[in-house]
Amino acid sequence: MLLDFALPAHDRKLIPEGRLSGPMPWVIAIMLFLTLLIAAMGLSLAYAIRNGGDDLALQATAQIIEPDPIERATQKVAVSRILRELPEIAAANSVPDVEVRNLLKPWLGNDVIDADIPVPALIDIRFKSVPDGAAVRALKRRLETIAPKIRIDSHSSWMAPFFDLMSSLILLTLAIFLLLLIATSAVVILAVRSTLNTHRGTIEIMHMMGGTDLQAARLFQRRVALDALLGGVVGFGAAATVILTLGGRIAAVEPALLAEASLPWYGWLILAIIPLAVMGLAMLMARWTVVSALKKML
Amino acid sequence: MQSVVEFDNVGLRYGTGAETLTDLSFTLYPGSFYFLTGASGAGKTSLLKLLYLAHRPSRGAIRMFGHDAITLPRDRLPGFRRRIGVVFQDFRLVPHLSTFDNIALPLRIAGIQEKDLKSPVTEMLDWIGLTERADARPATLSGGEQQRVAIARAVIGRPEMLVADEPTGNVDPEMARRLLQLFAALNKLGTTVVVATHDIHLLQEIDGAQMMRLDKGRLSDPTGSLRHPPRPLVLKN
Repeated sequence: MLLDFALPAHDRKLIPEGRLSGPMPWVIAIMLFLTLLIAAMGLSLAYAIRNGGDDLALQATAQIIEPDPIERATQKVAVSRILRELPEIAAANSVPDVEVRNLLKPWLGNDVIDADIPVPALIDIRFKSVPDGAAVRALKRRLETIAPKIRIDSHSSWMAPFFDLMSSLILLTLAIFLLLLIATSAVVILAVRSTLNTHRGTIEIMHMMGGTDLQAARLFQRRVALDALLGGVVGFGAAATVILTLGGRIAAVEPALLAEASLPWYGWLILAIIPLAVMGLAMLMARWTVVSALKKML
Repeated sequence: MQSVVEFDNVGLRYGTGAETLTDLSFTLYPGSFYFLTGASGAGKTSLLKLLYLAHRPSRGAIRMFGHDAITLPRDRLPGFRRRIGVVFQDFRLVPHLSTFDNIALPLRIAGIQEKDLKSPVTEMLDWIGLTERADARPATLSGGEQQRVAIARAVIGRPEMLVADEPTGNVDPEMARRLLQLFAALNKLGTTVVVATHDIHLLQEIDGAQMMRLDKGRLSDPTGSLRHPPRPLVLKN
């Protein structure tokens, strides 16, 4: 089919090519711009879920809820020491009390937090591999011998609804992506039919002189391919500008999970392939449309 | 003698209307020259459309170049059409192609290389007196010039059968005579020529040409050409 693209100059004259003067390249550019944006969104979300999700699933927080500050501090040191000795734990970092109080200030207010009220001691735990519920419960039972009121919260469990939402959004972007491809194909079919009607006389003359359906189809394929190529370049350029601009702003945003929602290198590769795929799809649709229409002629 | 075209009890009807052509049975032989006459609306153009495979008949049998043209698969039609040259009544030149490209079109469709088609197209342009207008678009040509281009396009591929619908309708008598000489020359090379015309004087230009007359879709045969093999052709001086 790629060979069909390279027609001799005289064959190109049979169906005049309007280049950027016609509406077709611009319609394809707009469709591709939207397609690329939605594809970039889906890819970024998938990348964020994979990176952020894997990272979060390895993490847990141990809370020691002990009113006596001395006992709490003792238990915190002991729990941290045991955690560091366990083979399944990659890291266990005590969160300083000052940091915990700062975290609570927005909710409890400065006056309350500066008073000598008990706040839980926190230890950030990082597992070497993603633990299941049983492993977390077993760890809790073991640590309860030192800190009876300890709680262990796995980050993946409280982030699960968020990831479910992200997965739904990815499915939504995939659906929109497919709908846009279908709409692009429909646009190509309508444009080819319109061009076919405009040049029906030329095609009929070609037929009467022994031209084959494929000879006629090749003329339209080339025209559509050129339109798709020009539209693809414009659409990709516009989409890349938006993605790069938004990417820079997202990278500066907290929390870090949102910052993970950037486009990976292979995402750019996929985005670059999409216009070429759309060009191939457009050529295929043009060929199918022309051959189907010509079969109705003798 | 192997026939070029055989019609056997052929009828043609458009839609659900009355038959435009009725009970046509005749044979066209290689190297023969036929004039097809008849009043307007007699069915000349419809008969020509059957000859150049633009339509299939509603009934009857047609054999063309030794093959059944009715059951011929669609994908084999282009091969047969390349053996037929057609001059359309309304010329049907491609409006955005130059005179040169219009004449070269059949050769390009047949896959002739560019280096091999420049010479015959240039020669043809010279013959029809339009060398100076090789780059002109059809819209800038007069009716007579367009007709000459249409004829040049039909004959450039040396077809086995030439079908012409009123080919001299828009040219002066001298050019009409020259075009007929071209047809006669092709005919001498073995091309079967069928010319539909109103011009009764043309019939006298080519000795040995045979006449087929259509009257309300039915064929009459005043010269007996459809019953007897063709005589050798002589162009009158």
